[in-house]
Amino acid sequence: MSVVPMQTNNAFHRDPKFGRLLLLSLIAHALIWAAFSVGWFGSGQRPKPPVYYVDLIHKPVLNPQAGRPEPRPVSKPKPEPAKSAAVPPSAPKEPAKPAVKIPPKPPEAVIPKPAPKPAVKPAAKPAPKPAAEPDRRTEQKLQSALDEIRQRQDREAERDALKDRLAKLRDSVNAAATVPADVPIGMPDGQGNEVGVSALAFVQAFIQQNWVLSPYLLDQSRIANIEAKATLVYSTSGKLVRFRIDTPSGNQQFDDSLKRAITKSDQLPQPLPKDLELVVTFNLKEIAAARR
Amino acid sequence: MFVRWMLVLAACLALPWSAMAATEIEISAPGEQSIPLALTQFLPAQGPQAARVAAEINEVLDADLDLSGLFRFVSPAAFLDDAGRISLLSNQVNFPQWRMLGAETLIKGTYSVAGEQLVVEARLFDVVNRRLLTGRRYVGEVKDVRRMAHAFADLVLEALTGEEGPFSSRIAYISNLTGHPELWLMDVDGKRPIRLTNHRSIVLNPDFSPRGKEVLFTSYRANNPDLYRKEVYSGKEARLSYKPGLNVAGRMAPNEREIALTLSKDGNPEIYLVDISGRILKRITDNWGIDSDPSWSPDGSRIAFVSNRQGNPHIFIADIFTGKAERLTTQGKYNATPAWSPKGDRVAFSRQEGGRFDIYTIKTDGTDERRLTFGPGNSEHPRWSPDGRFLVYSLDKSGNRAIYVMRADGTGTRRLTTLESDCRHPAWSSRW
Repeated sequence: MSVVPMQTNNAFHRDPKFGRLLLLSLIAHALIWAAFSVGWFGSGQRPKPPVYYVDLIHKPVLNPQAGRPEPRPVSKPKPEPAKSAAVPPSAPKEPAKPAVKIPPKPPEAVIPKPAPKPAVKPAAKPAPKPAAEPDRRTEQKLQSALDEIRQRQDREAERDALKDRLAKLRDSVNAAATVPADVPIGMPDGQGNEVGVSALAFVQAFIQQNWVLSPYLLDQSRIANIEAKATLVYSTSGKLVRFRIDTPSGNQQFDDSLKRAITKSDQLPQPLPKDLELVVTFNLKEIAAARR
Repeated sequence: MFVRWMLVLAACLALPWSAMAATEIEISAPGEQSIPLALTQFLPAQGPQAARVAAEINEVLDADLDLSGLFRFVSPAAFLDDAGRISLLSNQVNFPQWRMLGAETLIKGTYSVAGEQLVVEARLFDVVNRRLLTGRRYVGEVKDVRRMAHAFADLVLEALTGEEGPFSSRIAYISNLTGHPELWLMDVDGKRPIRLTNHRSIVLNPDFSPRGKEVLFTSYRANNPDLYRKEVYSGKEARLSYKPGLNVAGRMAPNEREIALTLSKDGNPEIYLVDISGRILKRITDNWGIDSDPSWSPDGSRIAFVSNRQGNPHIFIADIFTGKAERLTTQGKYNATPAWSPKGDRVAFSRQEGGRFDIYTIKTDGTDERRLTFGPGNSEHPRWSPDGRFLVYSLDKSGNRAIYVMRADGTGTRRLTTLESDCRHPAWSSRW
């Protein structure tokens, strides 16, 4: 019986070719992974789309109600073709002369807010009146006085409902208008899919707001050059996990003011999309520039 | 070998990730430039005591710190219950309450009166970091209450700026309240005026010695404008220079061994150096024009003065050792009364334009001229506070001339003297 000696694992590994091949394989894998992560193939990170802010609410349009499902026409299906001919001439005028149309409405709507009106009014005003007049004419001939009274009551109820809707719309328009009015749009770290303020810009503004320092505290000749660096780490919940002053300015008052600012910024008013490690450079370049 | 390769590879791959970890941002200006300060009413240490003392401490602190321009006072009406508690230790103060009000610094204190003795304890806290910044215990007489408060205001500025305030110093000035222009002394807030001379003649142009113990001034007591020196504490007085003609505008050098003054003994007013006994050491200027109003640089190597040697009166700077003079101001037709700042970087002066004087400052190299006052009235004789943060000057916008103080940037103007007499020629002492 002949015994064929089995190749042991050790002998297998000792093969120099195998070792080299394994190393080459690993390097090749790692290089491919690195190439993907760095973005050489262009598929790792797509170019960031520019951030556009489109205010759909305040955008002036010819006919704001076009394409919008109307709740009212249910009760007046027949006279609509006549209306569509009557409405267009009035609709184009409205965006061109918003000031002319606003005055008649305030007494009806009672709420004196000017901005939201042009967007909402055109829909509210033309609809009920022309719709009601033809109804009245045809119904006066065919229906009794009792039906007419009922119709008026319906119209009044409808107007009340419209007023409520107007008020709600104005509130929502105001709320939408106040938030994005003064926030930066299109931050460098934007991905194109955010709504609202960049987290980075928000944190920057929050820390700056908490930084209190009178330039008179300092030697005036140093204002242009004074600088300190600090590292801050925020968790997703917006809590300051840790901080350290990496490079102090050398001025006790300046550094103390930074510590106070960071301590005051220990909790952000809203959470962050991810953990954030910031290296913040504090200096007085703006003040120095303003004094020049 | 294999392991080494793997480590190198891992390090190379880790590099981009570690570099991406931290984001850098820059904040190039503070959000607020005045420090929110809560100044609480000082409380009696035991039981109800003279409330006037507490009111006076608070009044002085409020005025001094407000003049500094560094603070925004948190409304006293908004103070919470911690203000009513005696808590001078940082672990006794309810810091969250103060932080809720937006205060970053907090002043608390107590006082106790026993007969004529007054003990005041004052503390300055950092509300955000919940720690004591500075504190003092002052023991004295009840009449010293304002001095104690001024001293603590100085301490507050030192704790927050690294440089003591000027509120414990004094201001000398000339007032004709008695019917004659005499030398007077007052606190930096205009309180506690004291008359120093009784020459019943004309006294003018005072200046403090660098240590603030003596005042130099010119008086016509002997029917000639002679230079006098007077010790503030002892009241001792001596006639220092009484050459024929003018002996005016005496300014003691920072080393207190020499005095620069204007003498006209030879007919034309020139600037000389004399020693403290009045003996002439050196003639600084030698020119056909009128040279007057010397002001020492802080290092004592140069003087700024007024001269009309090139036509109109302008400010010049002369080297004490070589006598070489260079023109500092080029604008305006009448520049006068220069005052070199204690920091050494600027010279304040008054300039006549449009028929009235206003205060200006200029860098010692002749650049960055800034106008600080804009009428109405004549603003003259500017002098710096010992820390260079403020300027005192005279102004005649409301009938009688009065002494005013303002910050070095021209803001925070405040009248110090009443309008019942004519006050002029202020001089700010060093810290006492």
